[in-house]
Amino acid sequence: MTTGKTVNLQGPPANEVKADEPEAMGKTATHRKAEVRLGREIQARIGQQLRGMYDEVVNQGVPKHIDDLVRRLTDQDDGVA
Amino acid sequence: MKLDPAIRDQVLATVPSLRAFAISLSGNVDRADDLVQETLLRALAHIDSFQPGTNMPAWLFTILRNLFRSEYRKRRREVEDADGRFAETLKSHPEQTGRVEFNEFRAALAKLPSDQREALILVGASGFSYEDAAAICGCAVGTIKSRVNRARTRLSDLLAIDNVDDFGPDRATRAVLAGGGRN
Repeated sequence: MTTGKTVNLQGPPANEVKADEPEAMGKTATHRKAEVRLGREIQARIGQQLRGMYDEVVNQGVPKHIDDLVRRLTDQDDGVA
Repeated sequence: MKLDPAIRDQVLATVPSLRAFAISLSGNVDRADDLVQETLLRALAHIDSFQPGTNMPAWLFTILRNLFRSEYRKRRREVEDADGRFAETLKSHPEQTGRVEFNEFRAALAKLPSDQREALILVGASGFSYEDAAAICGCAVGTIKSRVNRARTRLSDLLAIDNVDDFGPDRATRAVLAGGGRN
């Protein structure tokens, strides 16, 4: 588990950007490289998170009151719906 | 009405995904369930206009989206707060392990314009083709593609900023993300 003292940008040690330093806000070359890499990782995560969020609901299936409603409406001989 | 059980089963099979879409639109489970229920009532009342063999999910999603949009227009005050309420649903989730990153994602998603969020969800989560998503939203395929691209870029920016530049209380999580995974 990463401690979180610094954000690991995986740059050369000499250029390591510490989280607490204001320079981290600037667009250093190291920073930019890290951004590109993060961009790809995040792009992959966006898909994962999006489906995860959606499937959390999908996996709940059909709520009983909705199932009952559909069956009741579609079993009647005379049109009510 | 006596309905072909095969058609009824197609309707029921779409309900879970329809609910997920409704929640993503309304940001509220109760309201989403009302929306789903109203969609089904309307769909079953007009089931004759559904052409068997065509795309049942796309048909139901279109009805639900239209209902939501017309309700949206009626309640303008609520509309303006729609994104706020979407964000509000985040608070109902306790920050368990694994939830923090997830909530960060939801918060970023809530910041998207609703048309971009909708397009991204239809294509990226519901699994519709660009063509079906365009039909559901009543716009051109190119429009859907551009909304999805803008949504992805914006989300990527929001999440990258959170991870690289924002050293808030959550930075342990952000460092893990920046490090490329759970160690």
